Amino acid sequence: MKDNAVFTSRVLPWVLLLPSFVILLVFIYYPALQAWVLSTYRSNLFLNTRNYVGLDNFRLMFTGPLADKYIQVIVQTFVYGALVVGLGLSIAMVVATLASQNVRGARIYRLLLIWPFALSPAVAGTIFLFMFNPDIGSVNQVLDALFGIKPRWLDTPLLAFSLVVLASVWKNLGYNMVFYLAALQNVPKELGEAAAIDGAGPIQRFFRITVPMLSPMTFFLLFTNLTFAFFESYGLIDIVTSGGPVGPPPADGAGLTTTMIYQVTLDGFGGSGNTGLAAALGNVILLFTILITLLQFRYGSRRVQYGDN
Amino acid sequence: MKQTLALAVALLLSVATAQTTIEFWYAFSDAPRSGWIQDRIEEFNAQLEEQGMDYEVTGERKGSYRETLEAAALAARQGQPPHLVQLFEVGSQLALDSGIFKPIGEVGGIDESAYIEPVINYYTLGGEVNSIPFNSSSPIIYANQDLMAEAGLDPEDVPETFGEVLDACEAGDAAGLEANCITFPLHSWFFEQWMSEQNALLANNGNGRDARATELLLDSEPALRIGQFMADLAENGWYSYTGTLEDWGGSEAIFANQDAMFFITSTADAGNITRAAADNGFAVKTGLLPIPDGVERNGVVIGGASVWLTDGHTTEELEVARDFALYMTNTENMVSWHKLTGYYPVVNDSVDALEAEGWFEEEPNFAVAFDQLLETNANQASAGAVLGSFLETRTIIGEALQRIYNGADVETAMQDANEEANARLAEYNANF
Amino acid sequence: MYRRNAWILHAVLITTVVIVAFPILFAVIKATQTRVDVLSPSLIPGTQFVENVRNVFLNANLLVFMRNSFIAAVAVTVGKTTLSLMAGMALVYFRFPFKRVVFGLILLTLMIPIQVLVVPLFDVISLQPPQTFAEWWAWISRPDRILFQPAEYGFGWANTYAALIVPFLASATGTFLFRQHFMAIPSSLADAARIDGATPWQFLRRILIPMSWNTIGALAVIEFVYVWNQYLWPKVIIRREELQVVQVGLNLIIGTGEGVEWGYVMAGATLSLVPPLLVFMLLQEQFMRGFALSGGK
Repeated sequence: MKDNAVFTSRVLPWVLLLPSFVILLVFIYYPALQAWVLSTYRSNLFLNTRNYVGLDNFRLMFTGPLADKYIQVIVQTFVYGALVVGLGLSIAMVVATLASQNVRGARIYRLLLIWPFALSPAVAGTIFLFMFNPDIGSVNQVLDALFGIKPRWLDTPLLAFSLVVLASVWKNLGYNMVFYLAALQNVPKELGEAAAIDGAGPIQRFFRITVPMLSPMTFFLLFTNLTFAFFESYGLIDIVTSGGPVGPPPADGAGLTTTMIYQVTLDGFGGSGNTGLAAALGNVILLFTILITLLQFRYGSRRVQYGDN
Repeated sequence: MKQTLALAVALLLSVATAQTTIEFWYAFSDAPRSGWIQDRIEEFNAQLEEQGMDYEVTGERKGSYRETLEAAALAARQGQPPHLVQLFEVGSQLALDSGIFKPIGEVGGIDESAYIEPVINYYTLGGEVNSIPFNSSSPIIYANQDLMAEAGLDPEDVPETFGEVLDACEAGDAAGLEANCITFPLHSWFFEQWMSEQNALLANNGNGRDARATELLLDSEPALRIGQFMADLAENGWYSYTGTLEDWGGSEAIFANQDAMFFITSTADAGNITRAAADNGFAVKTGLLPIPDGVERNGVVIGGASVWLTDGHTTEELEVARDFALYMTNTENMVSWHKLTGYYPVVNDSVDALEAEGWFEEEPNFAVAFDQLLETNANQASAGAVLGSFLETRTIIGEALQRIYNGADVETAMQDANEEANARLAEYNANF
Repeated sequence: MYRRNAWILHAVLITTVVIVAFPILFAVIKATQTRVDVLSPSLIPGTQFVENVRNVFLNANLLVFMRNSFIAAVAVTVGKTTLSLMAGMALVYFRFPFKRVVFGLILLTLMIPIQVLVVPLFDVISLQPPQTFAEWWAWISRPDRILFQPAEYGFGWANTYAALIVPFLASATGTFLFRQHFMAIPSSLADAARIDGATPWQFLRRILIPMSWNTIGALAVIEFVYVWNQYLWPKVIIRREELQVVQVGLNLIIGTGEGVEWGYVMAGATLSLVPPLLVFMLLQEQFMRGFALSGGK
């Protein structure tokens, strides 16, 4: 690697780094350490009590009468995440590929596909809540007029879960499109043309050329979309379902749309403010996140090398 | 330069003579109720000005009872607590334990005998009055008489028991009624009321009033009766709600849109519902909260919310704050509050005033609520439970009812709920 | 053959464009309708837009919510870009010990999304700082307690802008982006600058910044949108309506009153989309070149 380090000041680099460093130390590293400390305490938001209890908070989550709830919450967070990532990325990949074809008005199509990039989870949730309101929502009024049905989008557990997935996939579509369209500009056209000459049909070309060429971007988006599903989806879920409704057995230990981060805030700031328990669940999420990031670095970077060749 | 100095001095002076602000945080965010509170604040401020006192009361809505309590706790931690906070009854134990509030008894100046008895009893714990009763209510049933007639029912005969509700629902089905039979917010509050109606305790140690409660009683016979009612409604598709727990507004919209024949909700919505019924052109009649068949009506828990003083202010500020709370709940204001909303007038004098002007004869829909209160037996069941983990317990009970609505076995659902609620309660109690 | 394919392609693309845009168009149209029409499935634009906007701005406090979000978003965007630029410059153009460790420590925070720290961060932000010198001393003199016991003191920043801004000022993503970008700038430029006797400050002003507009623009888009769209943290740490941000404010508008005024809510949702959309559209070119094309690596 070439060396650009042309300046020799001993003090200046530390001065330049200091602000970032202090902020990361105080607002990321210290709270991260505190999260582990707090998870070994029984600690209450309203009472300001802190009693050391060792691993009791983790025991409370994974054994005893509350275990069903926490295990369900963890499992359904991953199911939700997998659906958001799987559906979201495959739809975005197909559409971005189509919009990158040599078609008249391609620029306009691309612009019309990426503009909801900045859409927020809360706004997406608000619009879906209104559209799918079982009683006054437009979707049910149209369905009622056409087929005489009024699905209970918000209180039938599986429908509510699907609605949240749908809203999330839609919310992320603009974002994913931006990155796929950008990545497709880097895919050499000759590859596709050569394959076409070899007699490969459009679908074969998509799977044999586009998908592998996009894989570095897919790995990046996999990570950002999972981060969305784990954390940012909070606003959407809070507005559309407030974490409910409880599912059919065996998924009846918790609201079917309660994700891990939602449960963290329920425990820590809702109810009687059990912040120790909330911190413990937060640490479980943190472990999952670190695991996923490590996987992303390990496999993601390898594919990037491949893609750049 | 001179001008800037002068300006700075003027600013400093204006700060020095600025009024002390007395903050009141309340939960209501709907226009009628929050507007009423703001009007009282303005009146009281005018009085303060007349008396030449340098105080000003400001009000801030917090959206819900839960949010209000959380906001107050955070503000206290921040060292900037408001002076007055409207807290719901189930937050009482948590509020007491948190130590951020000052029992009104310690500040003094409240005449306990002025309040109607069941109300002041609720807020008296360990012999001391903790907060100033403000808005109290209990659930009643509202019937859409037009839909009842359509279902071939006598529109004057509002169901009084679970069995009668189910019969009416069946009649609605038979008559091909398009609207659903009944809606109520999926909320633990109704469960708690139905327990009280059956003279059953929600928690041990006398509902937590003899000593700190250590166990809930959610799988008792009376509790199962309530669960069975939910199961019967769900099985036949007679119950409708928005899918969100504790969605008061959602169920009210269903009833207002004539999508449900019956609606169980707080007496406090009598005003809003009467207006909505008039707007949408249907007749509404209220009735006592329907109760399980074959039990004697014990009466309702008279909860609602009260106004708490927070610690960490000067005595003088607290006295002004208290005076405002007392002004807001004085005879005349409780009369107008009751007429606007349907909340009980919590002071005896205002009840007398309303009776004197013949209000209850004119407005039978509002009278039902009052009869229900007067017929309530004073015992530990109707005094209501006090629990530190009541907020979680509410969610757990709500979810249990939701599980039953989704088809779960009643007994299993209530047993699971009881175990879960006990675990949370033990966790809370272990803080001490 | 080709022509038929083109038609199919157009059809699919138009359908997708409509699906992508429909919910937002729906919100925009509903924002123009009267309170009766808004509850019908009608998609004919009405005349109530100005009325709905006025109501949601003034009576439902949307103006206040948007102002707060704007202040926080601009402050974080400017601060974070500056700090990341500084850190990136230090990491590329200076030689100093432990450089790799420092870079590693910054990069490591990528694995710790701030939302997962909501509970401990809440304590760090909302607890009061030590009030007296004695308290300070007692606190500072016991580092073991600071590290291994639950936080006793914090910044006392609940219900302030500082809580929305300061924790977000440093960024691994930003530092990483600038570092990558600087490393791609030919080293001959830096050498030339040094030979000319340019100070680091002159180098930054005359060469680095002019060459970094794409990266700066890209980071600005990411950060502005990120802060504008935040929900969980403000909901927890801000409990005063006059300081609340727009995303949480929207939920407050929905929760106002029994019958939800959907016309207002849709007007609010629509308006809240405008600032991030503007920022994205204005900086779209830079964003594409500075971030998306580099694969966000």
